[in-house]
Amino acid sequence: MDQNQFANELISSYFLQQWRHCSQTLTLTPSNPGTESDSTRPDSEYEDEREECPTELDTLNSSGGFSVVGPDKLSVLYPNVNLHGHDVGVVRANCAAPSKRLLYYFEMYVKNAGAKGQIAIGFITSAFKVRRHPGWEANSYGYRGDDGLLYRGCGKGESFGPMCPTGDTKYTTGDTIGGGINYAAQEFFFTKNGVVVGTVYKDVRGPVIPTVAVHSQGEEVTVNFGKDPFVFDIKAYEAEQRANQQEKIEYISIPVDASHGLVRSYLQHYGYEGTLELFDMASKNTVPPISLVPENGFNEEDMYAMSQRRTLRQLIRRGEIDETFAKLREWYPQIVQDDTSSICFLLHAQKFIELVRVGKLEEAVLFGRTEFEKFKRLSEFDDLVKDCSALLAYEQPDKSSVGYVLRESQRELVADAINAIILSTNPNVKDAKCCLQSRLERLLRQLTACFLEKRYLNGGDGEAFQLRRILNSGKKG
Amino acid sequence: MSLFWTVIRHLAEIEAMATSKKVITREEWEKRLNDVKVRKEDMNKLVMNFLVTEGYVEAAEKFRLESGTEPDIDLATITDRMAVKKAVQCGNMEDAIEKVNDLNPEILDTNPQLFFHLQQQRLIELIRNGKIEEALEFAQEELAPRGEENQSFLDELERTVALLAFEDVTNCPVGELLDISQRLKTASEVNAAILTSQSHEKDPKLPSLLKMLIWAQNQLDEKAAYPRINNLSTGALEDPTV
Repeated sequence: MDQNQFANELISSYFLQQWRHCSQTLTLTPSNPGTESDSTRPDSEYEDEREECPTELDTLNSSGGFSVVGPDKLSVLYPNVNLHGHDVGVVRANCAAPSKRLLYYFEMYVKNAGAKGQIAIGFITSAFKVRRHPGWEANSYGYRGDDGLLYRGCGKGESFGPMCPTGDTKYTTGDTIGGGINYAAQEFFFTKNGVVVGTVYKDVRGPVIPTVAVHSQGEEVTVNFGKDPFVFDIKAYEAEQRANQQEKIEYISIPVDASHGLVRSYLQHYGYEGTLELFDMASKNTVPPISLVPENGFNEEDMYAMSQRRTLRQLIRRGEIDETFAKLREWYPQIVQDDTSSICFLLHAQKFIELVRVGKLEEAVLFGRTEFEKFKRLSEFDDLVKDCSALLAYEQPDKSSVGYVLRESQRELVADAINAIILSTNPNVKDAKCCLQSRLERLLRQLTACFLEKRYLNGGDGEAFQLRRILNSGKKG
Repeated sequence: MSLFWTVIRHLAEIEAMATSKKVITREEWEKRLNDVKVRKEDMNKLVMNFLVTEGYVEAAEKFRLESGTEPDIDLATITDRMAVKKAVQCGNMEDAIEKVNDLNPEILDTNPQLFFHLQQQRLIELIRNGKIEEALEFAQEELAPRGEENQSFLDELERTVALLAFEDVTNCPVGELLDISQRLKTASEVNAAILTSQSHEKDPKLPSLLKMLIWAQNQLDEKAAYPRINNLSTGALEDPTV
């Protein structure tokens, strides 16, 4: 294999890998009939982060005998007269609080404060001995009603201190009390009737379980794990926390023209030639004019084969694969020289997909038989061939489980692969790997990796970086 | 466990944490970077958001065609917004105010500070052009009444009128008001107000993301040594310093 072929294979297998990723994440979620474009679909990256959330109380691992969980599994009653401190009726949620996010929150409504009002809300670890109040043992945290104190890891309570705006932190019949976790700040927070009472540092790493406790006759509470609207405005709290974080971030300074340069290099990388021309023209006319020449000189390298890349992208986006082949044979014969190369597979597969799209099924079958046959011995493409040929089985292939190959994003992927391979034919390119990603993409990958690593070192607490969430933020509705 | 041993163990833990920062080699880190999924579609949206917010209307239109990315705002409104911005940048304040009101009269009605700043800029332009009498008349009739409502407006008005007291305005203490930067400040304020009135964020998302990258790297620095990107304009990974 010569150097050219080596670069070809490296780049095309990178894009085939991306295709496989789409296949794995998107075949699971066929789109609903008659709806939406790609952007409104549930986001696969979000799905990676999907975690189990508490929905009801755990009747098995809770201290039965001292408390009675109602049939709805959301209410708890203490029917007996308590004898001593170990008779606490502690009831935990059916699973730990999800941690790959910014906040977790749940609420408890005190239906009846009973004889003494010794009610508590808090969080425990799975190692907790379930007959004590949350907060009374190591690695547990609780907020108690009768004294309004915070307990963390021992039987001695402390006041929430000056942080509490209302002063009176005790709670009783008719009050709604909330317990929450702020993973970014690494702290628990408690609320009373929709107002934050105080926060406490979360010095335990790993999963914690929402818990409530009752301890005197007649005490009765109901919990809300989010099925009903919360009394506390958790959305506003989340926005506030995000704004605080954003303020710290905005304080950081970056070179004024950093974004401008990044957009420019993005347009160059993908061969969006027309946009680039207009962008440069407009940049010259701004007040003050933006210098088009960056500090370390203009990198004309990035203008390499611009108009060819633009033309080919347009052909692929229009689904004209035969014409794409023709142009490639004319301009870059070395790329399509080997008819069994990965890049040729990608193009042939796209041709097949385009035939299905326009309903030329017979032609697609014939084409598939001859073309896919060639790749048959190369079992590495089996899964992708299967995704393509499965289209034939459906009356409405775009709504089938493999409908993702009919989306614009699949054409885009093929266009990006061709674009990268052409970039790698530039004799000045030493390492074909440099052609795989735009600078913007490299920065976004670094950003995502930093967030994930930080979370990993934080015991798995906190949210990942989601470009999709940032893109959707600030939109109305 | 006795308190003594608890304390000893705790101290040992602190020491271990201080000395052993996790080291991630370039090879390991590149593997992680490789596992990250970035969607092309999302990057296109990010670029479109930049073009739209910064007012590159022709480029945005072309980008829509070349990349198939739909802008999150009606492109026609960008043209109007840029016309206002341009008018302020060129010092045509009457024109600018008229254009804002054509776009949406509520913008200035609900934003007295912006309206004051536009009027102040108009006063500055009159002074710059040597129309002293007109400037004085305008200050007394239009700006002074607004100053009565708001102390900070009054201070600003006094500062601006002070320009008249100096023969060589470029070297006087309030000379900065005549600088091009004052126009740009006013222009970006009115730009932001128009975007807000269109339920659009006033800043593009890209610069915030770049800041976030630096922030995230700084945060991770506390716990690990790993390849960083220090130069945003090359995006090159630099080996960890241990």
